[in-house]
Amino acid sequence: MSKAGVGDVAAVVEVARKDLLLELRSKEVVVATLFFSGMVLVILAFALGPDETALRNAAAGTLWTALAFAGVTSASQSYQSELDEGALEQLLLYPLPRATLFLGKLVANWLFMLVLSALLLPLSAAVFGASIAQHLPWLLLTVALGTFGFSLIATFYAALTANLRARESLLPVLIFPIIVPVILASVRASSEVMLLGNPAESRGWVQLLAGFDLVYLVVCTTIFPFVVEE
Amino acid sequence: MMTPITPAVELTGLARRYGAAYVLKNINLTVTPGRTLILRGGNGAGKTTLLRVLSTRLRPSRGSGRVLGFDLVREAHRVREHVAYLSVFGGAYGGLTARENLALAAKLYGKRGHTDGFLEHVGLHDARDKLVRTFSSGMKKRLGVARLLLADADLWLLDEPYAALDESGRELIDSLLVTAKDTGKTVLMASHELERSARFADRILDVRGGTLVVAPVPREVSRV
Repeated sequence: MSKAGVGDVAAVVEVARKDLLLELRSKEVVVATLFFSGMVLVILAFALGPDETALRNAAAGTLWTALAFAGVTSASQSYQSELDEGALEQLLLYPLPRATLFLGKLVANWLFMLVLSALLLPLSAAVFGASIAQHLPWLLLTVALGTFGFSLIATFYAALTANLRARESLLPVLIFPIIVPVILASVRASSEVMLLGNPAESRGWVQLLAGFDLVYLVVCTTIFPFVVEE
Repeated sequence: MMTPITPAVELTGLARRYGAAYVLKNINLTVTPGRTLILRGGNGAGKTTLLRVLSTRLRPSRGSGRVLGFDLVREAHRVREHVAYLSVFGGAYGGLTARENLALAAKLYGKRGHTDGFLEHVGLHDARDKLVRTFSSGMKKRLGVARLLLADADLWLLDEPYAALDESGRELIDSLLVTAKDTGKTVLMASHELERSARFADRILDVRGGTLVVAPVPREVSRV
């Protein structure tokens, strides 16, 4: 009598695909996020003035500031569509391990942040005069690990605050203290590559990022079913 | 020797509270497979809470429950394989089309094949490529019915199924309940529309003060 549900990996893909489709269709959010991130870069560039050294020194920091703010907006939005019309209620009733729902939403948020990074990296290089072409694979690895860690925490806390009235103001307050190690490691690893062109110097930070990602992936995936339990 | 039939629903001393307030206090209920039960009661009586507990969306605060032999808490995943829930709101994504919503449901239920037949059955074939956010409440409810049929579950939990529907939509729910009887599905339905829904009921239960009280099926109702 038991009916097999869809494979767990396929369920992760379906949930991620659904989230990305919803995100792309809510054009106002995508446009606002892109515009906001771009504005952060440009405003900080103006604030730092014409000193080329100061601009180059700030390149990695401003890039991750823009990504962090955009990431919070994206994660918050991914649960807004679930709350409309009771869709989250239905999503939680499918015969699937609840961790697959978390992983699906995580993948969607991560892919969105990767696309955003792909747009902001060249913009950041152009505005701040930083080097991204040299050791590009290493820089991309840093960005991939950093955005993954950020998406992990953002997706988890967005679920935690999904039913709260003040979730949009609470989300950054909860996320940023937890995310400090990821932001620090991402900024330091990126700036070693972008400024010094020396990936060997950033190896420790990249390892820290990978370790953080792994620990939080296990912790968040394990706890998520209890977070959405009522 | 006859094998005892596993009840579709078996609740013992079940309670559920929100904060300090108990909405369900001491629910004892056994439902034989294939029966249709109607839950009656005023707003806030606990009908929806009971359906949500049975769907595994809410954990019981006290007591125990089994659905088709599976424990509501320890085997919630197995319960969800056998239960389909039609909520008041429909539970669809406004940013997806009706067809995309149903295709997503089919994949998450692990079903293969086209979903257009279900949309045609509920009268949404012509609107299948429109975003659900442009739908009326009744159309959203019809989409919920399509998902219910697609799930092909053994236990249907229907929360105010007639609400927001026009006459053809109400007839659709009538036919849904006839299908349930014909195919041996168990139905628990919260409904204020007793005149209509009682025709399909094997039992009517009043949800009163957090407990269940058996009510007679009205005599004037012509049974299906």
